Amino acid sequence: MTALTHDRRDLIDWMLMILFAWSLAGLFWTPYDPQAQAFLGELRAGPSAAHLLGVDSLGRDVLSRVWKGAGHTVLLGGAASAGTLAIASILLWIEQQGPRFLKTLIRSLISAGLAMPVLLVGLILLVFLQPSSWTLVAACAIGGVPFGFRQLHVVWSEQSGAVYALASRSLGASRWHLVWFTLWPNVRPQAVSLAKLMFAVGVLELSGLTFLGLTGDPDFPELGTILRQNQADLFLQPLLVLWPGALLSGLLLLVHISNIRSGAGSRRLSSAS
Amino acid sequence: MIGHILQFLRLTGRKVFFVLVIFVVASTVLFFAVRAVPGDPVALRLKNPDPVRVAETRARLGLDEPVPVQWWRYVSSFVRGDWGHSFTSGRMVGRDVEEFFPATLELGLAGLTLGVCTGILMAVFAEVFRIGVLRRLSFLLGTLGLTVPIFWIGMLLLIVGSWLLGWFPSSGRLDLAMIPPPVVTGFVTVDALLAGDGRAFLSAINHLVLPAMCLSLYPAAQVCAVLQARLQDPVLLTLVISLRARGLGPLRIWVRHLLKVVSAPVVTVIGSNFGALLGGAVLTETVFSWPGIGRYLVGAVLDRDLYVVQNVLLIVVLLVVAVVFTADFVANLINPVAGRADGKKSQP
Repeated sequence: MTALTHDRRDLIDWMLMILFAWSLAGLFWTPYDPQAQAFLGELRAGPSAAHLLGVDSLGRDVLSRVWKGAGHTVLLGGAASAGTLAIASILLWIEQQGPRFLKTLIRSLISAGLAMPVLLVGLILLVFLQPSSWTLVAACAIGGVPFGFRQLHVVWSEQSGAVYALASRSLGASRWHLVWFTLWPNVRPQAVSLAKLMFAVGVLELSGLTFLGLTGDPDFPELGTILRQNQADLFLQPLLVLWPGALLSGLLLLVHISNIRSGAGSRRLSSAS
Repeated sequence: MIGHILQFLRLTGRKVFFVLVIFVVASTVLFFAVRAVPGDPVALRLKNPDPVRVAETRARLGLDEPVPVQWWRYVSSFVRGDWGHSFTSGRMVGRDVEEFFPATLELGLAGLTLGVCTGILMAVFAEVFRIGVLRRLSFLLGTLGLTVPIFWIGMLLLIVGSWLLGWFPSSGRLDLAMIPPPVVTGFVTVDALLAGDGRAFLSAINHLVLPAMCLSLYPAAQVCAVLQARLQDPVLLTLVISLRARGLGPLRIWVRHLLKVVSAPVVTVIGSNFGALLGGAVLTETVFSWPGIGRYLVGAVLDRDLYVVQNVLLIVVLLVVAVVFTADFVANLINPVAGRADGKKSQP
């Protein structure tokens, strides 16, 4: 452990991994049922030994709700960012291999899309799809494509023409060898950084959409939805808003700091956000 | 000279063409999105949907005509400003937009102005005067502005400014007991000034402070980051040294030379982040119960109020594109050299 945490970057990455694991564990186990209104006699009670983060205005254990909410936020945000990267990669491949008019079309659409807020894409999708958490994931995945595409384009432009790649190709390396032993080791730090960045963007946009009540289920334990529900008690029990907000912001801050601390290339990607 | 004018016209023509393409694409997407809604919108609209009344209403709304004709009817109505009636309130969509849009614009402009001023001041004082504390503060501003969700910041501001200090109201645009000034521009602050009502003006400003602060954080972070990067540019530092060597004073260096170089990227950043600002405005309106177009739109989506959604979304898309292109245009006018250099880049 000492060796692993010998510099701050590792420490931040470890903290991030622990937070991820803790959040995802909340999907499988929480101290109480996060949706059961089992403590109606202790409405808006502060932290205690039985309820470490207190009880909300509907008699539910706040820790259980926030824990499961963090799990849903990480899961759905991760799904949204994976979707964005998959669509952006396909578009990049089409842009690189396709005819000239398609290249121009994709670039123009990406330029226009960069200006559009993800929220708008979410609202357009919700016109004809039923409000649900997965509709919001689709909205975030599609809405994030212009940004993801631009970032992938930067990495691709840098690496595809790099001298080491040309040298490896001229030495007769097979395509698999070129990708796995030449390109991947060089691209890996940037790929990890890009994935983290896209994850942060996905979580931020998704929690914004859920905060607006677009999940379709007002009781769905997710950090944005919890914040929306607890806003009614903002002046009665501010802790109900502070816990989920601090967790969401802490998660995003850790991802951001981890990205800043990893390599020069990653710093550039981060600043592009 | 003629070459410059031709280049300017070519650039303008290309931008106008692109806006038209976006309009056609966005209107088509929204047209089909609304028609993909499960169930018959006419049956949803009628309280007693018997087949005869449904057929009559369909014919009256032109829904029995071929799809291209319907699309053309929708586009031409939109251009004429005839945006139909809301299913839920029965009010004209145009009237609703007239009422809610200025509130969003007032909030957006206040947030943007505050954010840009804060960002510029932080960056300039941190980099030009090399103040260490401000450098750390600007880093903190950049980190918080880009990572902490805007709706949580809004709640924290409400807790501090409204609950703990009791200085600012928590919702609305004006005190409930106050008679609103006559509507001229739709901006309560401006209308109060025009009506000579000082109390209403102060109340409007008081209501605007917290939401504007909340909304200003993101543009402040963006402007500060871009400006700091520009001010750290070695080429710019060399330019300053050479201008000083020529005997130019700091005021002349800043006003005549640096302002042009530095303001162009700031204008571009403001333009390209206008969409994010609008998205932020929707969330801010929800936190502060601000009666703007964002809350109206979200309500319409949840109620499946199709005419409202179709037209308001199209307005927002066109507005975002128009602002981005205008900002691009202004940045080109301020510093044409940077514009030409940007144009040569191969990245999208």
